[in-house]
Amino acid sequence: MRNRVRVLVVDDSALMRKLIPQMLAADESLEVVGTAMDGNFCLKKIEELKPNVVTLDLEMPGMNGIDTLKEIMRRQPVPVIVFSSHSTEGASVTLKALGLGAFDFVTKPKDASAHMAETARELIAKVKAAAECKLKPRILAGTQPKQEKASVSSSSPTKVVGIGVSTGGPQAMEYLLTQLPGDFPGTIVVVQHMPDGFTDMFARRLDETCSLRVKEAQSGDLLQRGRVLICPGSRHMKVKRLPLGDIAVLNDEPRVNGHRPSADVLLRSLAEEFKTHAVGVLMTGMGDDGAEGLGAVKKEGGMTIAQSEDSCVVYGMPKAAIERGYAIRVIALDVLGATLQAICGRGAGSEMGSAGRAVRAGH
Amino acid sequence: MTTSPDERGAELRELFFETSQELLQALNEEALKLEKNPGDEEIVRVIRRTVHTLKGDSAACGLRELSELAHEFEDALSLEGTATQDAVAEIAFASADLFAEMIAAYRGDRKLPSTRSLSKRIKDLTAVPAAKKTRRTRKTAGKASAPRVALKPAADWTEYEKLAMTQAQASGLAVYHVVAKIDPHCAMPIAGRQLIHNALGSVGQVVAVRPDAKSPAASKQVEFVLASAQTVDQIAAKGRIPTIAEEVIVELMLASTSALKKAEVASAVVREDDAEESLQAEANAAFTHVAASGTEPAGIRAAQENVLRVEAGRIDNVLNLVGELIIGKSMLQQALNEFSKRYPKELLRGKFADAMGFQARVLNDLQRSVMKIRMVPVDQLFRRFPRMVRDVSRQCGREVELAVSGQDTDLDKGILDAIAEPLTHLVRNAVSHGIEPAEERRRLGKSSHGVVKLNAYHQGNQVVVEVTDDGRGIDAQKIRAKAIELGMTTAEEAARLNDTETLDFIFRPGFSTADEITEVSGRGVGMDVVQSVLHRLKGSISMETRPGQGTTFRLKLPLTLAIIKALLFWVEQRLYAIPLNAVVEIARTAESEVHQVDNYEVLQLRNQVLPLLRMGRPADGGRHSKLFVLVILVGERKYGLIVDALEGEEELVIKALDDQTFSTDLVSGASILGDGRVVLILNLPAVVEHVARWRPEEAGQANSGLLLSHTDRVRLAMTPAVGGRA
Repeated sequence: MRNRVRVLVVDDSALMRKLIPQMLAADESLEVVGTAMDGNFCLKKIEELKPNVVTLDLEMPGMNGIDTLKEIMRRQPVPVIVFSSHSTEGASVTLKALGLGAFDFVTKPKDASAHMAETARELIAKVKAAAECKLKPRILAGTQPKQEKASVSSSSPTKVVGIGVSTGGPQAMEYLLTQLPGDFPGTIVVVQHMPDGFTDMFARRLDETCSLRVKEAQSGDLLQRGRVLICPGSRHMKVKRLPLGDIAVLNDEPRVNGHRPSADVLLRSLAEEFKTHAVGVLMTGMGDDGAEGLGAVKKEGGMTIAQSEDSCVVYGMPKAAIERGYAIRVIALDVLGATLQAICGRGAGSEMGSAGRAVRAGH
Repeated sequence: MTTSPDERGAELRELFFETSQELLQALNEEALKLEKNPGDEEIVRVIRRTVHTLKGDSAACGLRELSELAHEFEDALSLEGTATQDAVAEIAFASADLFAEMIAAYRGDRKLPSTRSLSKRIKDLTAVPAAKKTRRTRKTAGKASAPRVALKPAADWTEYEKLAMTQAQASGLAVYHVVAKIDPHCAMPIAGRQLIHNALGSVGQVVAVRPDAKSPAASKQVEFVLASAQTVDQIAAKGRIPTIAEEVIVELMLASTSALKKAEVASAVVREDDAEESLQAEANAAFTHVAASGTEPAGIRAAQENVLRVEAGRIDNVLNLVGELIIGKSMLQQALNEFSKRYPKELLRGKFADAMGFQARVLNDLQRSVMKIRMVPVDQLFRRFPRMVRDVSRQCGREVELAVSGQDTDLDKGILDAIAEPLTHLVRNAVSHGIEPAEERRRLGKSSHGVVKLNAYHQGNQVVVEVTDDGRGIDAQKIRAKAIELGMTTAEEAARLNDTETLDFIFRPGFSTADEITEVSGRGVGMDVVQSVLHRLKGSISMETRPGQGTTFRLKLPLTLAIIKALLFWVEQRLYAIPLNAVVEIARTAESEVHQVDNYEVLQLRNQVLPLLRMGRPADGGRHSKLFVLVILVGERKYGLIVDALEGEEELVIKALDDQTFSTDLVSGASILGDGRVVLILNLPAVVEHVARWRPEEAGQANSGLLLSHTDRVRLAMTPAVGGRA
């Protein structure tokens, strides 16, 4: 291999500085060029070694992970994969890191015997994806100030938007949702590939920053207008129409495409239940989860959208759907909000004209 | 890359065992700091981060119990309100101890100690301050109470179910909560549940069921929410199916719309509350960053970066090879000397000499560099003591401060490890026996705080480590009395000894550990063990004490165990060596200068009187023959070692001798010279000891002053290597 991916491992634990390179050594296209034990060394070594990817522990003495990340992003952005721990605190700070432009995160293995191989696979895949991604200036710069939450609307949503998103999702979702007004007439159900414990924090964060009402879904939650339900980590989410209203239903069935939650599960049930009222969206992420689900939505007469390549951190999931011919439209992230408003607004007859011009046809 | 997962796991664990020691050390240190500055949040944060790393590392190694306990502690520390509790430091100490025990247990594959009591203490930490309730518990409380406002049972109804309830209510129905207890003798509880469900369905509309109708789990009771126009009694009668439902409790849940409205308001309040908290959390986090970046000692951190962990055995290997090279160098030198003698006019000699000189210089550097690899700052050892001094001083109710200096002094890692125990012993003694109780100190006009000092410094080719206390000192009179009582000496002999000599008794094996001695000085306990460790290391220990003012123990240690600069000499046609740094001077004298005092030979050298050690028989030349006397320093005392001739000074690579071929402690090792000769390296403290113990009358020999007993000499002579060719 001539062009191996140069990785810098940053962790204050000597053990992790040994373990992480060992994990990465399993893949020949990766090369750990150095390790650093805190933020200052990390910055120094980035200059010195010019790594392609940095793995960063968030809990460090001296300059901690978050500050280090800010500094990396300010000086000379390098894709950063955050190593985080399984704790509430860990989830919160990890999401903050994602908000600051970290490429993705991997949780430290809880138990060596059970999760080590899995963590290693995940890490390798993410490092590779990170190495390939073209870092873009942060798109969050233009985030609108938070608006007042609209009061709960009892009327049914015009459309149900199912979103499947993975790597790069936290930032993209935050951007997308801040583009939508509090009186958005549709409901949004989201499968974000994220472990258990992180999705609740993720939903809270989104709820704070946007005017829609965002929460981690519980079984039986109603699909209301202006509401965003995030599927909890390690569960699947389906939607269901009932006489009194439409709800989200969670289950613990086996992984699909190696994922739980899986976007395929959500989108298939969306297609089945809502037919032409379904809107399927596949956004940035590795792999091809959700592509077949998007196909199902299209088949049932719903609208299907894939995020455009140039606005994706990782152009995997949208690409898979586009290649299979399942995406009716290919839309850049900055106009996705307007597009969704235009699509969902139709039923309610509001602002169709103004939003319509932002819609670009794909292909 | 080809190592199996198992091997990798084992290697990782080994690494963890090692790195965790540093983490535990840090934990102890921070806990000490916290004890001095109770409630300092920055210190608590450092503790939390340390525990966090410990948690992550142990989890990665699959040490579940440890990582869980660490997790509990970490979580407790992340809560507001816990950090300020005084108990945190105590728990940090206890955790450090228990973690260490657990790690030792993992390492030795032993049964893990119970974590229950510590776990409980950690829980107490979070439970105590009701007023300072933590943000996390507040959150869960808020989340749970909101939807439950109108409902007593444990079930959380889903949004859809609540919607169904309000709609039923709007359509004029009452909403009931029905709890049916399943008869424990019911053969088919799941079918039974369905039967009750059906029965209730006939008197109204079942809006919600717990457990779920599909759930296969057996449960003792079923809960329903029923929208019905019937009365409580009618519903209860319907639900009570013989042999299935043992008991049915029906309660009115919603009679009017107001109850649910209240619930909505409550939930709105909770939302705002949450948002505010998050903001505050954010602000706190920001503060953390600022504070954290300001206080870390960057120097220490920097020193640790780029550290390569290498197994000590590998370095020893290199050091061994360097040793062989040095022997090789001597061989070359020897050959060159012969060459020079044989061809004094050969011009090549100069070239050889240049090359030799160059090689010698590089070899020197190489040796020094390799030895440096083994060197670690004594701080690694000193770091343990603050915690220990704290614990011991508490145990025996003393007020003691520990002052540490010279912690940057480097010492061979092997030596450092070996003196850990002796030093611990000395420090412990200094605190428990050296320092007086506060009251006594005040009475004596001393400050109530005793001070124990640890110091380390280089002195020539040695490292000196000192333990000093400003306590009561050791009373030589009492030691003298005790030594006589124990039969170690006679009253008249003792009377002749000066104080320094008297105090040496405490290093003698068997010097009592009896209570009264402990009371008097306490220094008898295990001092002989301390001394024997030092002898093994070719080091020495000495003591200085002043009654009422304190005591200093001074450990002198060689920089390294592997190579020494030695003085070589001949005794009875055999070659011996002693460490050069033990030699104070070399004197020439005559037999006539040797005097007999009490069956011992002494030499008057200028204004000092030296006890003499003689390794061989006195020369035949009688009183006028010349003598070489090496003046050597063992501990704090000087002796004269009589030798036949000097060979010279040389760097010796010490080869350990195995006990089978060699069973005397008079010799600490052997070395091979460049010409292949083998030289024995004397263990001077043991040699001195032999003289001190040797009694001519016991040995039945008139040959007074003879150092080695007959058997000892036979042993030396029989050693195959002596004098032979390697």
